[in-house]
Amino acid sequence: MPRDWSPAEREYLLAFADDEHLMGQQHTEWIGTAPFLEEDLAFASIAQDELGHAAALYELLGDADDLAFRRDADGYRSCALVELPCPDWAEALARHWLYDLAERHRWQSLGAGIDDRLDGVVARARREEEYHRLHAAALIGRLYGQDGDAHERLDAAVRSLLPFADALWEPVAGEQEAHRAGLATVTSAQLRARWRPEVEAVVGPVPWDELANLGQDARRQRTEHFAALFDRITEVFRIDPNASW
Amino acid sequence: MNVYEVFLKKDGKDEFRHAGSIEAADPDLAMVLVRESYLRRAEGDQVWLVDRRHVVASNPGYIDPNADKPHRFNDGGRVAARRKAKRDESGAAR
Repeated sequence: MPRDWSPAEREYLLAFADDEHLMGQQHTEWIGTAPFLEEDLAFASIAQDELGHAAALYELLGDADDLAFRRDADGYRSCALVELPCPDWAEALARHWLYDLAERHRWQSLGAGIDDRLDGVVARARREEEYHRLHAAALIGRLYGQDGDAHERLDAAVRSLLPFADALWEPVAGEQEAHRAGLATVTSAQLRARWRPEVEAVVGPVPWDELANLGQDARRQRTEHFAALFDRITEVFRIDPNASW
Repeated sequence: MNVYEVFLKKDGKDEFRHAGSIEAADPDLAMVLVRESYLRRAEGDQVWLVDRRHVVASNPGYIDPNADKPHRFNDGGRVAARRKAKRDESGAAR
């Protein structure tokens, strides 16, 4: 019997699903244009995985197409990090790394045993996330550790993305109730405390308290970039919204 | 950049088979990239990467002198044909 999610639980899962959806969509920008062929394949696969995670989470909550394509901008709960355009490869790579470090913790923090379907989604996602983390760490580790252009570009990209990446951990609406219900086993604040040292292990100390503050409840407001992104995402869908694929 | 020769093995008794090569800065990165370049569709359950510099390869012409020795190609065909002819002979005589 599928679980009847409470409104708070839905909000909690929707925030994660929307992040996965938009992150996957953003990664697809690099299909055919990543710096070299093997990376093109790897990055496209990661994009596909993220879209798969989003679809699986959406399906827990309702119809995936409805949630992905037929919602108003106001209905989205994505974080700013996944709405930003990252036209430079250094930025796209830095975001992939920051996001997947966080994503791994998020999957690990979802409660087991409250819904069979969720358990299945989590198991698959955790297997796939291992590769995402390995891939990001391999590239960031090598490029960031270099002197010169690679390091400078990546460092600038990471620094510019950090306020957005850190804001990913602002408490999600419904989090307390999701926590009480066992859907969230760890708070966003605790996850942030696990994530920050992993970032610092590569880029050195970060003045977290001095990062630009995106404000409370940022997930309820869309960034200025959302409209263009959503337009691209729904471009094919809008041609024939009732088409069956 | 280094070139790594890619060998894949399917589950079971199949041997590792050469599948191609991949270019990467080091072995670990090659292992990260080979998965999505060669194993997206379960082409194998195991993968070996061999640094091409570690492959002992023959020089051109080294094999050539062995190519014109037809007496080494014994597929048993001629022996079988002779035995059959003998059988037919003795069968006809009976």
